[in-house]
Order: sequence, then structure tokens, then C-alpha cells
Amino acid sequence: MKREIDFMSKSLFFIVVSLVVVTVSLVSIFVKGFNFGVEFTGGSEILLRFEGKRITESELRGILSGISEEFKTARIVRVSSMGDPADVLKYSVVVPKTYASEEKKSLQEKVESLTGGKLVSFNEITGTAAEEIRKGTWTAIVVSFIAMLFYIAIRFKFIYGVAAIIALVHDVVITLGFFSLFGYEINVAAVAALLTLIGYSINDTIVLCDRIRENAKRYRGKSMVSIVNASINEVLARTINSSLTTFMVVFVLLLFAGTVVKPFAFGMTVGVVVGTYSSLYVVSPIVARWGGR
Amino acid sequence: MRADRVRLVVVLSVLAVALVALLWPTKEGFSSKLKLGLDIKGGARIEYLVEIEREVENPSAVVDDVWTVLRNRLDAAGYTEATLKKVFRENNSYIVVEIPGVTDTAQAEALIGSTGVLYFAQVLNEYYGDDPTKIPEYVFEANREKAVWLKGRDGKWYLVRKEIMGRRDLVLEAPRILYARPEVETRVGRYGYKVSFELARDHVAVFERITRALYVPEGTYDPKKRLAIVLDDVVQFAGQVVAVITDGRAEITGNFSLQEAKDLAAILRSGALPARLVKTSAGWVAPLLGRDVVDASLKAGIIGLVLVLVYMVVYYKTMGIVADLALLYNTVLLFGVMALGRFILTLPGIAGIIFTIGTTVDGNIIIYERIKEELRTGKPVKTSIALGFERSFFTLFDANVTTILAGLVLYYFGTGTIKGFAITLIIGVMGSMFVNLVLSRVLLDALAPHIKLPRVAETQQGGGQR
Repeated sequence: MKREIDFMSKSLFFIVVSLVVVTVSLVSIFVKGFNFGVEFTGGSEILLRFEGKRITESELRGILSGISEEFKTARIVRVSSMGDPADVLKYSVVVPKTYASEEKKSLQEKVESLTGGKLVSFNEITGTAAEEIRKGTWTAIVVSFIAMLFYIAIRFKFIYGVAAIIALVHDVVITLGFFSLFGYEINVAAVAALLTLIGYSINDTIVLCDRIRENAKRYRGKSMVSIVNASINEVLARTINSSLTTFMVVFVLLLFAGTVVKPFAFGMTVGVVVGTYSSLYVVSPIVARWGGR
Repeated sequence: MRADRVRLVVVLSVLAVALVALLWPTKEGFSSKLKLGLDIKGGARIEYLVEIEREVENPSAVVDDVWTVLRNRLDAAGYTEATLKKVFRENNSYIVVEIPGVTDTAQAEALIGSTGVLYFAQVLNEYYGDDPTKIPEYVFEANREKAVWLKGRDGKWYLVRKEIMGRRDLVLEAPRILYARPEVETRVGRYGYKVSFELARDHVAVFERITRALYVPEGTYDPKKRLAIVLDDVVQFAGQVVAVITDGRAEITGNFSLQEAKDLAAILRSGALPARLVKTSAGWVAPLLGRDVVDASLKAGIIGLVLVLVYMVVYYKTMGIVADLALLYNTVLLFGVMALGRFILTLPGIAGIIFTIGTTVDGNIIIYERIKEELRTGKPVKTSIALGFERSFFTLFDANVTTILAGLVLYYFGTGTIKGFAITLIIGVMGSMFVNLVLSRVLLDALAPHIKLPRVAETQQGGGQR
């Protein structure tokens, strides 16, 4: 037998850590709020037209960022209409900000003189995702939590389900807190990251609970705390390897991926770490304390 | 040995199907097989000016309604990944439609541009099968009844007539509907949702006469006395009139799901929108993420994947190779199923794929750790493999079923992109379970002689070491 690491004796300390991080997250969420992407808030779309001049997305982004801060994370997309001549390039630049009419004028002058293009139109746009995402996603998350609670209650024990849901809420709150603290944009991909993290967290929890269930049957004489501790040790290699491999993928993405993908990679990176942590230090203490025999 | 053979055959045939689905040549080549979303590949972009009638009090509510109608139409036609933007410019409202992967905008334009007149009609007959307008006896019947065959949303064909009971004064076309909304069904013996709506005052009298003409007492059935709601030449709903509606307030019951009820309500509301859509431009849009972003992210994704593949081989040796093959197999499988089902891959979908990579690797790790545990107790390799799979079955089963459960809920309640994410999640997780339990088993059994025994087992030592 390998030497067992004693996870459970430090659980009180980690519960305090969790509570502190959750509190900080909640404070940040409510005080600082989120940096919502343009799909949620709406904003402005500027259409630029270049005749006989080749300019790439990143060149354009560079020039515009010099004019104003918000263009650093702007969405710059090439568009074209039917019947455009071959030497015409058109870009749609979208920022989560609206401008007053005087601002529009000065911006138009600056943009036209610096880029050498023509500002064709200034549109105000609504958030496309706002209606779509808000409509269903929260309901979906809550209903899926309830569904998972029931499944775990049937396959394991009710308290395991409760522990799993507490861990999920813990993970979602902390990840959202990180988004708020670091000012990462919440866009559609970030929502996808949040949903993925739920999957990861529940996976970790189930694997651990499965082992606890098995060991509780096998070692009838032992205390629940030592059973939980033994179970954590037995699945430890799996926990580390599984988390590490996923971490590799999302961390590389965080380092190298471009602007719009960054929030997704950020959410996943935080999520994998928090999800792994929560199965060890949120689920296990609850199961050890109230899991019974 | 027989179980082995079966597994091998299954694994190979599934792979063959996935590859055929992905690589079967089409005119447009590989890219048209796996459909990519707007964010990754771009697509068609059409801009419409929303022309609102002058006397309308709340124009922005009308734009919202137009938006909802278009959204429903696009969703119903399978363009769930299309985006619809409301745009304001110089005191005018525009709606910009972007449709992934479409180069020919004609079909989409037909879908959006149709003004869509809603009317009530009498159902005279129904039929399930091929286009009845090509079958002489059905055409004859339609001519005789002065009616038309229209396709229903449910896939059936309906013979409908706008003049109810053949009377000119029993026509209700483009009715103004004050409200239409889904409500929870409360009657005993029914479940789900119903739709309630109210007609504007000028239509109440004619609706009363129509419902009186088509009324059949509940519990009886008269196939020639049914009322249909027709929009865009599609029978949206057909049902019996079980009460005479005297005040213009009616209910449509049919044990609908919430989504069905919502759709039907939106269809009713869309009947007479006081607005017109004027196409102002049509063209295409580049990947919304930006081509530079897509390229950088793709590169990053591949680097990450390679790191995982290398790590698994370094840590698990022979078993790591199996895990890597399982991972690649499942990725091909996922793309194959997506191509077959004509699902569109978007950034959230890629999130689902990364999750799939995670679960596939995780599943293998769970199995290997079990096998290692069995090996440490001194069992032979073949027995350990069999036991390892047996013991980890329910771990994998529970973990994956919970994820699939969450995926199904997301699919049901989510919209657009979230649905896309849920689809890749569900396909990926099911694939990973198949790959872990079947493919990995075949490969591990085949490679059993190459699996090294852990040190503890070789020296046959029990405890206290390390």
C-alpha cells in the first residue's frame, strides 16, 4: 500500500478558504459586476469602406486602438455586399458602447483620416444573445441541477446529491467571481465554458462518490471519515491526471488563443481547477460528516 | 474470443460509417460536410428595413414582434445557428440576418421576405404520404371541394378551404390578435400547456359564426368539421371546435410542450404584423471571431491536444497509446455524427469537443487506474483487464449519464448556440462511453502482452513500501 495522504484533517481549513473565496466572488459580482460582451449589451457597429487599399483585421485593430481604448477588444469582421467592386474592402467594427452624435462626428473624422477609409454608416445594434441566452440558460441550469440531484439521490444517496449540487453552485459562483474580478468579457463562449465546467465538476464528484459508495460497502467497520479519506487517495491518480490533461488543453488556449476565445479559455481554466478542488474539499467533508453508513 | 470479435467488428464498422459521413465526396468538398458556424466560417448577411405603419403607437414592440416571427421561421427551417440583429440607424429600424455557411441567399430570403398571411380554414380531409397535388384522385377531390392541399407542421397533408362550409361570409383572414400566450393546462386528464388568444373586436362576430358552423360536441368526431390555422401556406395547427366562441377569447388545447405552445402563440401573433420588410442589402460576412482569432485558436487547440497525447504515453506507456487512439477515434466519430446530423459547429460546440476530449481521456484513466489496482494485488494481466473494465463500468455509467442528463436539459430549454453546445456534449459523451468500453477493450486485450506489471506486483510485496 502507498502511504495515505490525510485529506480530511485539513478539511476545516479548506472550508474556510472556500467560504472566503465564495464571499469575495459574490462581493465582486454584486459590487463590480460583469463586463458583458456586445452580444449581451448591444452597442455600435461601424461600417468602414476601403477603396483600392489592402488592410488586414489586425492592422485596422492597431490603428483604431490608438484612437480609443474600446477598439482593443472590438470585433472586426470583413463583410461584403453583392455587386461590390473587386477593389473594395468593407469591415464591420463592433464595440459594446454607444456614442452621442457629437462623439460620432469626431470619431468619424479621426477614423477616416487615420485609416484612409470611409465610414459608411454608424449603427446601433441590440444584443443578439441577450434574449436567446437569458431566456433559457438559467432555467436550463436550475432544471439540470435538479435532474442531477435526483439521479444521484437514486443511484447513490440523497446527501451525495446535495453535496454535488453545493459543489456545483460553489464552482459556478467562484468562476463567475473570477470573471468579474479580472474583468474578462462574458460572451456566448464564456457561457459555454460555464456549462462545460458544470459537466467537469459533476464528473469529478461522481467518480469520488462512486468510490466512497464502494468502500463503504467493503469496509463496514471503519469510520466514514477514514473511508472518505481512503477513497480520495484511491482515486487521486485519476483526479490529478484527468484534471491535468484538460488543464493543458485549456491553459494553452488561454495563452495563445485570440481575443474572443480568451474568455472561454479563462472560464475553462478556472473551472477545471475549482471543479477538481471542490470534489475534494466541498463534496468529501459533507459526505464524511452526513453521509452516514 | 467471440466477444472480442464482436467488439472489433462493431468498432471498425462505426469508424467506417463516421469516415464515410465525413469524407464522402460532394461537389463542394470536405468543408461542406462538416458545417461550420458563423463565428468560425462566416456566411450570408442580409439587411432588411422594417417599415412600420404610421399609426402604430409602439414601433419598438412591433420590431420585437417581427424579430420573434423571423426567429421562429428561421428555427423552424433549421437555421437555428443564424443570428438576427436589430439595428437602429438614422431613426430607422433594420433587422440584419446572418446565416452560417450559406452562399446562396435565395432560400433564406424567400423564408424571411414572405409577408405571411394567417387565416383560419376548414379541414376537409387529411392524408399522410407523398405530395397529393401530384396524385390525380386527390387533385380531383381538391377541385371538387374548391380547396387546396397544404402541408402541415406535423408532416401530414391537409385539404383545406378558406371559405368555411363553402360560404364567402365565413372567411377570417389576417385577423388581428390582441394576445396569444401559452398557459399551463389545468383540466383533469390533460397535461402540458395550452394556448389562449383573444381576437380584436371586429373579428369576434365572424369567429363566433365560424365556430358555430364547425362546432362538434366534445367526444364526437367529424373529420370534415375541423378548424385549421394556416400561415405561410403551412397548416400550423388543425383541431376540433368544442365550443362556440362568442367573445373572441379562445383556447387551443393539445397537451403541448412549453416550446410547442410558445411557437403556436408566436404564430398566432404574427398573423397581422403592422410592418413590412424591405431588403436593403445582401452579401456575406467573414468569420465573426475574426480570421486571425480562428487561426490562433486552432493552433492553440492542436498544441494542447498534442500535449495531452504525449502526456498519456509518458505516464501510461502502452495503455497511453490506447487512450490516444481512443481519443482520436472519438473525435472522428463526433465529427462524423455532426456531419451526418447536419449539425453546425460553432465556438460553443468546440467547448463541447474539448469536454469530449476530457471525458474520453478521463474514462480511460479511470479504467487504467482500476487495472493497475488489480495488477498490484498480483492478478495476471488478462484477468486484471477484465476486472478493471467490469469494476469501472458503473463509475463511467453514472458519470456519463449525469452529464448526458444535463445535456438533454440544456438542449430542451436552451436556444440557438446553447442547443449547439448541448448537441456536441451529448454526442461526445455517448461516443466517449462507447470508445472507452468497446474500443479501449479491444486494443487493451490485443496489447495485453506488452503491458508492464507495476513494481509492487512484480516483487509480490504487500504493504509498507514507498
